[in-house]
Amino acid sequence: MSKQKLTLAVTGLNNTDNPGPGVPVIRGAKESEDFDVRVIGLVYENLEPGIYMEDLCDRIFQIPYPSSGSDELIERVEQIHQQEKIDVLIPNFDAELFSFMKYEQRLLDQGIHTFLPSLKQFQEREKDQLAKYGEKYGVKVPGSINLGSVGQISEMEDKFDYPVMIKGQFYDAYEAGNEEQVKQAFFKISAKWGFPVIAQEFVKGTEVNVIALGDGKGNTIAAVPMRKQYITDKGKAWGGITLADDKMMKLTRMLIQKTKWKGGMELELIKTNSGEYNLIEINPRIPAWVYLAVGAGQNIPDALIKLALGWDVKPMTEYKIGKMFVRYSYDMIVDLEKFAAISINKEI
Amino acid sequence: MKITEEIKISDNGFVFNSKTGDSFNLNPFGLELIKQIAEDKDFESIRNVMLEKYDVDDLTMEKDYYEFYAMLKHHQIIAQDDSLDFK
Repeated sequence: MSKQKLTLAVTGLNNTDNPGPGVPVIRGAKESEDFDVRVIGLVYENLEPGIYMEDLCDRIFQIPYPSSGSDELIERVEQIHQQEKIDVLIPNFDAELFSFMKYEQRLLDQGIHTFLPSLKQFQEREKDQLAKYGEKYGVKVPGSINLGSVGQISEMEDKFDYPVMIKGQFYDAYEAGNEEQVKQAFFKISAKWGFPVIAQEFVKGTEVNVIALGDGKGNTIAAVPMRKQYITDKGKAWGGITLADDKMMKLTRMLIQKTKWKGGMELELIKTNSGEYNLIEINPRIPAWVYLAVGAGQNIPDALIKLALGWDVKPMTEYKIGKMFVRYSYDMIVDLEKFAAISINKEI
Repeated sequence: MKITEEIKISDNGFVFNSKTGDSFNLNPFGLELIKQIAEDKDFESIRNVMLEKYDVDDLTMEKDYYEFYAMLKHHQIIAQDDSLDFK
């Protein structure tokens, strides 16, 4: 059977020590049995490693940061679409999702398919809303307080014992063991990510994660649980292993069914010594370790593309247990011409 | 006592808990011991087998067995109804 030709645009080619999911998403898409994929890499910075990786992208375009305005970002994507005829777009950053969700219909009218959560789904799982989310959907969530100023630290101290986790709205999390450390983390995070800064109760246990894909109708199309085996100083997984954990799978299916989640997602959970699961975060997109799921038998990028195109996708229920991923760093030798092209022309 | 079904034991002494993602390396003595436990044998029969196979005295064997057993419980390798029961 011949494969269907498809032009896929992907962001998040920053395969650094804090990697975006773009490169593994592309790897998954290229392994599709149904699509012959032509890849358009959309980058924010001219040193994102995915730009320089051989045989990864067919074209590269620089796009403006969402902070410069949703309109500017979407207009740039439309301009690229006029040249390249994008069929499916997979955005991979939390910070850009709002813009793409907002203009989902406008993009679709031009033939660019996405498969993203609704604005309501996106907002109700935000870190400062997580306590309400836990209550609404019946899942255990650590207590939290939204900090708007350091004056609220005493309020936090009345509620939680140290240590606490201090988190930014989109990224960054620091463990703080006393008031001074809370202040340091507060200033660092608020300067970078704005307000509120979230102070979350510390739950002792093992961090486990699930990558999942919801079809928007309550069905879990894919789900693979994983435990990080090697964690970088930025808290990112540098190695991980798939688990056989029915409780995690049930929790994932329950959440997707109740919320009718649409798109890729990652659940971050803490499993306590008594076997309880605490939901500490929901990432509203495919995580950077997605290729482990592909390797374990669930090609999530491929399934997401099909859902975006309106195909009928059957849930994948099997995956290989005990499959591991180990990341590595690798020095590529790059010609100056490529760097010059992306820096000057904003495209390659 | 029962080894939980998520535990995979390789002949080279590598033990993998597919529920927690933990893995352990056993020496030949530990491997023999866990295999005996997996066969659901009682302490008396395990002791007899181990004393016959290895150059170990009775007291050391008993001490090692109970330490090893506690470790298996701690790492959730042996099934227990109450996860907080470390008896």
